[in-house]
Amino acid sequence: MLNFEDDPTLSDLLTPDQLQRLNNSLSALCRAPVEVGPDRTAPSVALEFNLETVGWLSGGSSDEERLAAADLVSFLMMFIAKYRLAANLHHDTTEASYAELQRQNDALRASEARYRDLSDQLQHRVDEQVAVIKQAQMDLYESARLRSVGQLAAGVAHEINNPIGFIASNLKVAGEYVSELREQLPETTGNRELLADFADLIGESSDGARRIARIVSDLKTFSSIDQADYTQCDINELLSSAVHLLQTDYGHDLEIVEKLGELPKLSGHPSRLSQTFYNLLENAAQALKSREQDGGHENWAGRILVKTRVDGDGIELVIQDNGNGIAENLHERIFDAFFTTRPVGAGTGLGLTVARDTVRAHKGTIQIDSREGTGTRVTIFLPIG
Amino acid sequence: MADHSPEDNRLALKVVFYGPALSGKTTNLMQLHSLLNPQRMGELMVLETRDDRTLFFDMLPIGLKGNSGLDLRLKLYTVPGQVQHDSTRKAVLSRADGVVFVADSQTSQQDNNATAFGNLEENLEKVGLDIDTLAMAVQFNKRDLPGVVAESELQRRWAGTPWAPLQMASALHGKGVIDTFRVLLDRLYTRVDSEFALNSEHGIDRDTFVRQLSAASEAHSA
Repeated sequence: MLNFEDDPTLSDLLTPDQLQRLNNSLSALCRAPVEVGPDRTAPSVALEFNLETVGWLSGGSSDEERLAAADLVSFLMMFIAKYRLAANLHHDTTEASYAELQRQNDALRASEARYRDLSDQLQHRVDEQVAVIKQAQMDLYESARLRSVGQLAAGVAHEINNPIGFIASNLKVAGEYVSELREQLPETTGNRELLADFADLIGESSDGARRIARIVSDLKTFSSIDQADYTQCDINELLSSAVHLLQTDYGHDLEIVEKLGELPKLSGHPSRLSQTFYNLLENAAQALKSREQDGGHENWAGRILVKTRVDGDGIELVIQDNGNGIAENLHERIFDAFFTTRPVGAGTGLGLTVARDTVRAHKGTIQIDSREGTGTRVTIFLPIG
Repeated sequence: MADHSPEDNRLALKVVFYGPALSGKTTNLMQLHSLLNPQRMGELMVLETRDDRTLFFDMLPIGLKGNSGLDLRLKLYTVPGQVQHDSTRKAVLSRADGVVFVADSQTSQQDNNATAFGNLEENLEKVGLDIDTLAMAVQFNKRDLPGVVAESELQRRWAGTPWAPLQMASALHGKGVIDTFRVLLDRLYTRVDSEFALNSEHGIDRDTFVRQLSAASEAHSA
């Protein structure tokens, strides 16, 4: 690139036309034709500009004439060069200023983009924080609510526990007395009917007492009344006994398929885990029963699948049924305490709440996938150690 | 940067007179034009002015032939001092080999001096030059005016800089102009000799360099 200060050549200063005109004018002034050109042709005089020889002047009739003509050309040259220098400098500075402006413009743009990004991020973070705070408030509210409910439940459970204990034991003794009475009373139709009715009454009362005891036990687990120490648990064993218990309760007419993988022992609270497994199994059994009662399933057979396996650094446990499933609009509420779809008295609404709290206490996760009319799958993950 | 073309055996150096507005940069150059009688001197080109203020720049070429036939040129430039001509100052300053900083001695102008010096530093950096290695002389002009800062005070202030001692001048009366120029030439020689071996290869020693380029003409040699 040429700098404004580079020494100009003859062709920089004069175009061929201008040079021709200069030659014509000089020739008219002198007695012999004069020629200005870039090359030296003797006899000639150097045309100097800024200590630089820019060309040569030849022709003319004498040295004096050539010198005078050269002086005139140098004089003219200075003004041409001045204009050139100023114009070139102006051009250089304008370009430099423009480049500088463009640089600043680019920098501004970049900075604007950065700030816009930052502002977006900020908005995003504020939104996130607001969501976190909202969630925290809700959790706080929920836990306060649950704590008060839990305290109430614990009190009620404690008060009911003793009377239901002796009611159950008394009913058992009463049942035995009925058997004794049957032997001692004379065999009449009236007596027989009376005693049969009596035995039924006592049996139903015993069932009722057992149910009350179960509810009390659920309530106790839910409100964490008995905080036994953690021990090494065999999840498969706990699960199997829960399955057996359920089959006993349902008279062995449940099809439960167990696919239990080999599992390491897990530090946990055995009774709470058992309770959880039992609750989930019972829910599955209820779902099967509901679907059966709905009727119209000729090729359908109720089935519960229980599966365990090691998954990474934990144990995965699946309890799956092909019962009537959970309606979509209820999914959000299934873990809520005291939420139940069963008729009044048939469920406490604490089964899944207890299950979730127990799983959380073991730092695990519980997930429920369900489709109404198809079935439900509960997946529990419990980390080892 | 010095423009050296070995094939033509030519070396062109550039010296820029820098400083605040109205400090007398053009006056310095005009005085050099009339006072100096170096081996070779071209026309003083004063480019456009308005109200006697430089709009573009002024330029005075002077030259010297070495024993080796080296054609040494020195182009002296001034910059416009007014703040708004910064891009012109930058363009003129680029590729400079030496700088004469012409400051105004009047007490009221000290802030302007500082601003202009800061602007010089900034622009040198922008055009890729280093103020610490550049040959530079600092002149305090207008000593003939009343209300100037005392020389002892100025010398004391600048004592710690590479540009001490300062040169005092009254350019309008031709005083101190050549002295300042000689100080600059002396410092310039140090830089140029180390790069282009002026003495060993071209037979131009320090004394020749300074004396020949700053030879005073007979009429003004007093």
